[in-house]
Parts: sequence; structure tokens; C-alpha cells
Amino acid sequence: MDIRAHVSMVFHLDKCIGCHTCSIACKNIWTDRKGTEYMWWNNVETKPGTGYPTQWEDQEKYKGGWEKKNEELKLKLHSKLGGLGNIFYNPYLPTIDDYYEPWTYDYENLFNAPEGDDQPTARAISMITGKPMDSIEAGPNWDDDLGGSPLYARNDVNLDELTDDEREQLNELERVVFFYLPRICNHCLNPGCVAACPAGAIYKRGEDGIVLLSQEKCRAWRMCISGCPYKKTYFNWASGKSEKCILCYPRLESGQPPACFHSCVGRIRYLGVLLYDADQIEKCASVPDHELVAAQRNMIQDPFDPEVIAAAKKNGISDAMITSAQNSPVYKFVKKWQIALPLHPDFRTLPMLYYVPPMLPVLAKTKDGNYDVDGLEKEGLPAMLSSLEKARMPIKYMASMFSAGNVQEVEDVYRKLIAVRIFKRAQKVKDYQQADVDAALSQGKTTAEEVEAIFRLTALPTYEERFVVPPLGREVAVEAWEVPLDHKREAGFGVRNKIAKRKF
Amino acid sequence: MTEDKKPSPIFRRIMPFLILGAGLAFMAGTFRVVSAMPPNQTDGEALFTAKGCNACHTIGGGDLVGPDLAGVTERRTEEWLTNWLTAPDQMLASDPDAQAMLAQYNNVPMPNLGLTPDEVAALIAYMGGGATTGGATAELPTGDATSGKAYFVGDKRFENGGPQCMSCHSVAGLGAALGGGSLGPDLTTSGFVQSDAAFASFMGAPSTQTMGAVWANTPLTAQEQADLYAFLSKASVTKRDPSALLQITLLSVVGAAVLIGLAQVYWGKRSKGVRKPMIERTLAAKK
Repeated sequence: MDIRAHVSMVFHLDKCIGCHTCSIACKNIWTDRKGTEYMWWNNVETKPGTGYPTQWEDQEKYKGGWEKKNEELKLKLHSKLGGLGNIFYNPYLPTIDDYYEPWTYDYENLFNAPEGDDQPTARAISMITGKPMDSIEAGPNWDDDLGGSPLYARNDVNLDELTDDEREQLNELERVVFFYLPRICNHCLNPGCVAACPAGAIYKRGEDGIVLLSQEKCRAWRMCISGCPYKKTYFNWASGKSEKCILCYPRLESGQPPACFHSCVGRIRYLGVLLYDADQIEKCASVPDHELVAAQRNMIQDPFDPEVIAAAKKNGISDAMITSAQNSPVYKFVKKWQIALPLHPDFRTLPMLYYVPPMLPVLAKTKDGNYDVDGLEKEGLPAMLSSLEKARMPIKYMASMFSAGNVQEVEDVYRKLIAVRIFKRAQKVKDYQQADVDAALSQGKTTAEEVEAIFRLTALPTYEERFVVPPLGREVAVEAWEVPLDHKREAGFGVRNKIAKRKF
Repeated sequence: MTEDKKPSPIFRRIMPFLILGAGLAFMAGTFRVVSAMPPNQTDGEALFTAKGCNACHTIGGGDLVGPDLAGVTERRTEEWLTNWLTAPDQMLASDPDAQAMLAQYNNVPMPNLGLTPDEVAALIAYMGGGATTGGATAELPTGDATSGKAYFVGDKRFENGGPQCMSCHSVAGLGAALGGGSLGPDLTTSGFVQSDAAFASFMGAPSTQTMGAVWANTPLTAQEQADLYAFLSKASVTKRDPSALLQITLLSVVGAAVLIGLAQVYWGKRSKGVRKPMIERTLAAKK
């Protein structure tokens, strides 16, 4: 058992209102520089939709992530020899058009325009060419609120699993449905970007698992951009280096959550430490598709288990880190309650950002001015919240996104979430019978205590409960390979204030 | 942190001055070394050999690669000679007399030897002084063209380890189109190979910058010179077949087309983009 600590994340999609505050917080801190205009380390997409860059989930086009070839785990992008052949000419990169052409507006004109017959306007100006744009054809969330549909939403890769009938139904007026998917770097346990980089510029920090891209070692091959199936590394055309989300590690190191977490209006984001068994990584990434979620969950270890704690300590994980893992909200969502799932586990990168899938409204028709949930009485189920089969967005779609097509995993999550709703509704509104509540609890394979705990951490969590930022101890971790005092500069001619070298 | 021994306060105070002083002393030293360089040579006869004039010229011994210099001070004005010796490359660009002479001597240009004004004056004085040098220094033995070709392409090594001619020069009669390197002049029509005396005299101690540097420490033997001369003066070598030029043009065009075609087959799908084709496909499906 090789126990390591990982700063991990949960996004609760039910709470996301799609306001893009997270994206703006990130943009203002990290990507407001020259060459980063088109980058959104944090972006929010509308689903169903094609996302940013367009159809990033379609690995037949972008060749990101891993695949199993002859029982071996291989990069989908290329073999070592193939990578050498394509090194000057990677054929699977997204073009700038697949992201979008970044633009600003000519605000000056509103103040400086000469007097004329019409009001002055602020024309869109391309941030690439600096010239006015005649039409804006795409943006980082062009699908927003079905704005780009049906051209975009119907091309969502996850809809491939659905039958033609089901796909058609999604476009019926009463059934139209969408939800938001905020995305940052998943800081994967088996990252495709790291494996694809020919320069060895990308690495996973040992003490917290944050995946970073060295701006000194990057040689602009751009293989990471293809290698990452989530398209979360970006090429800066001004610096000639690739860049990616750094999970705001300077903030984490000073005890603050990352900016996108901190600024989230819906408070959908949770951050905490997971302890995992690194020995299982390869095995876990190689299991058949339908076992991926379970295998990944299995890799996460119980931070209260004395055996795990002993193994963690043997690996140099501090007591404070272990305490932090015990308080981690991520551990609860992912392992204890099992209601958070990784995004596209089928890419086999073992992402460490988990999503609680959204509870979309069930299908209803109006009858005599009231909503009538179709056919519920026949099934003997309580109205409104319980009918998973009548969910507007087919479970198969969610399974394609969150469980590599394993419908059972997604159903288990939803049954539990429904149990929480019914339990609390029976408590507050009192329009469910105790029998209904018990039935929902047993269907959700849960208990009243667990449901109450889920409710509290979902609806009423405090800042400290949402963000359990561990003491990263960077100053200690760095001493593993460097003597910090070596970097302290000498003064004058080097004679007057010579720093004594520390001996280890 | 421990600071065991600090320099004494007085020493610390004067240290910057000591360093400054040491720096100045060092600079003064370099200056003296520069000024101690040997003075300009004023001995024209020695210069004529040292600068390699004799590789191409005689005084009263007949033309070699370049003209016989006997009586040159009467044929040309002193000003013209001074300009010519100082910067022959500039004269060739502007002076019609110089250009006519270049044509007369098989387009072998006089190299710029980087002479100082003193050296130029010394050389003119020497040439006007009525001195003579001999003709070509030694008779070449009988050469073997086959062996010369082997030397040229590098099948046979030069005794003193010099590089094969082909690495810098090309010549007709080697294969079809690609006859060698292009750093040095094409030897097919070169004036260096006009007479065995000129060839031997030049190859004995080449005075041009590149050739001089290459051959100074690895001189050719007399037999090697003779073999090379025999090869280079063969009829098939001294004239380039026009069809060879056509051949090389065709080869490059076809080669480029094949490479582009291969790249297109292998990388053709690159950077087609995803969004635009997707939109076009969707719109087409609707119709």
C-alpha cells in the first residue's frame, strides 16, 4: 500500500446557476495576459452542448486520454515512435476556431466618435488580429441557455448513446432541458498531458497531486494539448509555452481555496484531501469501462483506518494532512456517500474532480392548470420527485458523461439524491407519508442519518466545511530536493554578509 | 548561522579600491600587449612570398593563374595599383579595367589579402624595382586521370590528410547532375586549371582565405597534384553537358512534389478544425 495525499474537488451541479463568476475570477487572476486571451482555465459549459473547445469530448477527433490496446494502457494520441514522427506536426490539435476568436469592444468610440446622425456603437474587435469583427461566430459558452442550439446542442457527443426517438424528444418544447457543467483541470492521477509531453515539462506535485506545467522546461511541442482529453492545457502564443490551471496553489499554500472556489455564488464547490493508494493507479485505469467508477472509488482509502494512517505516515504525510483528510467534504461525497462521480472516467486519466449530477425536473404535463407527472400513480410512486424513469434528461446521457456508460452507477446516485429530497420534504412540507419516505430511503440504500448529513453539507455548509484546505507544508516539502538557503542571495562582494551554507 | 572570520575593517574599506586598481592594471596590461605586436613589414620581397602572391603571379616568369607582373608599374598608375592591392573586390565591382582583366584571366578574381597601406606601398616598390622571380617552381610528373578522380571524390585519401575536393567543389563528369559541393567555385570552367604550371603553383601554396586555411597544414604531394590536374583537364570534365542541368531541375521538381504528396497523405487531416465542419454538416443534414 503506497498511500498518498491528493487535494481533490467536488462540484455539486444541482447548485450551479451558470453565472460564470468562477470563470471571471480565474480570468482576472491568471489569464488576462498577452497570449492568453482565448484561455479559460475555468469554463462553464451548457449541457447538452458541444462545450469548449467544440466537441472536446470526441476523442476520435482529438485523440486525448488513454485507451486499452492488447490489454495494455496506451496513449490514444500516439505511440513513442508515432510521437516522434508527428513531433513537428501534431495533426490532432484544436484550431483557434474550435476554441473561439477572442474579442473585446471598441469602447473608446462611445466617447470619441465624431458627432453624427446616429448613436456611436462599440464594435467588436478581434483580440487576435486587432481588426473589427463582422460577426461573432462562437464563444467559450456558445450553447448558453440553448443560444447556439440546435446547431450545437444536437452535436453533443454524449447524445450518441440515445436512440433517435429519445433525441427527438429532447427538442420538444415541454421537455427542453439543460444544465451547467463548470470545468477546471481535473488534476488527474493518470494524466494524459504528463504522458504526452516530449520535454518532460509537466509534473504532478508529490505532496498534493497538483499537476503543473514548468514554464522553463516547456518546449512548445503542444502534445499536452492533444494528450489531455479535457483540453485543459492551452498554448500561449505570446510566450510560446503551454499553460494550465494551477489550482491556485499560491492561494492553497496560504490557506485559501482557489479563486474559482472562493468566488462561487452557488457555493457548489468543495475542496479537501483524499488519501489514495498509488499502487492501484495502473490497475485501476485498466479495468473494463463499466467498472471504472467503482475501481476509482476503491482506490480512495479510509482516512480513519489505522492501517491507512500508518501507511500514510510511513510515506511522510503529516498528521495535519491526515486530520485534514478526515474532515474532507470530498471524501464524504465521493467515498462515504458515493454520490459524486468523475467526469468521463472512460478517458482513463482518473480525474480527481468529482461531480454530483444534477437533479433535473421530471417530465410533467399540465392538466387542468396543474402539473401532472405522467403515469406516476400507475407505478404506485409518490409524485414529483421519485420517478427516475421519467427524468427529462435520459439516464443514459448522464451515464455517458459520469460513469463510462454504467447506468447502474448513475441510478444509485440519483436514488439517493431523491431519498434526500423526499425525506426533507416529508419533514418540512409534510406531504409524504412515512411509508413513502421509508420506501425512498430503502431504494436509495441510505439511512435517515446519512440523508440528514448529505442535506447539511449540500444546503447549509459553512465556509470551513466546504473548503478544508490542508496545511500543504510547501516549505517542508521543498526540502526533499533543495536546500532553501542555497537560494538566498549573498550581499555586497560576498565577503561582508556571507550566508553560511546549511549542511544536511 | 555562523560568520567565523570577517576581514579587518581597514581591509574592508579599501577593498573596492583594490579591486578597481587591479582592474585598471589588467586593462593597461592588455593595451601594452596590443601595442607590442610586430611592426608592418616593409620588405617587399618577403611579403610577395608571405602573402602568397607567388601562388598566382610571377615577375618575368610568364602568366600563371594571374598575369605576369613584370613592368606592371609602367602599365598601371600607382594610384590604381594601390587601390587594387588594398581592395580588389571593390575595384572589380566598379573599375572597367579590372573587370576586363577578370574576363581575360578566366574569371578567377584576385582575392582581398587584407594588406595594410604600408604593405601595399612595399609591394609596389618591390614590383617596380626590377626584381624577377622564377617561373613555375617545379615540373609536374605525369598524372593519372583515374587516380585523380579517385582523389577528387575521396575514394583515395590524400597522403597528408587533406579533405577530398568534392566536399567544396563540383565538376562536370561526376555522375549525372550533382557533381559535388558548392562552397568553392565550379571547377568545370575554372581558370585554375588552364595550365599545369598555374595549377601546380596555386596548389603548392593556395593564397585564398578558404583554400589557404584548408591546405596550409596538409599540402598535396607533386604526384597528387599531377593526378588531379590530369583528371580536371580531361575533355569530359572541362565541359558541362547541358542535359545535366535539365536533369537536376527535373529531379528537384519531382522530388519536391513527391515529398509534398507524402506529407499530404500522412498529415492531410491536420488542422481542418472541428467547429466549422460540424456546423456545415448539421446545416447540410437539415436541408
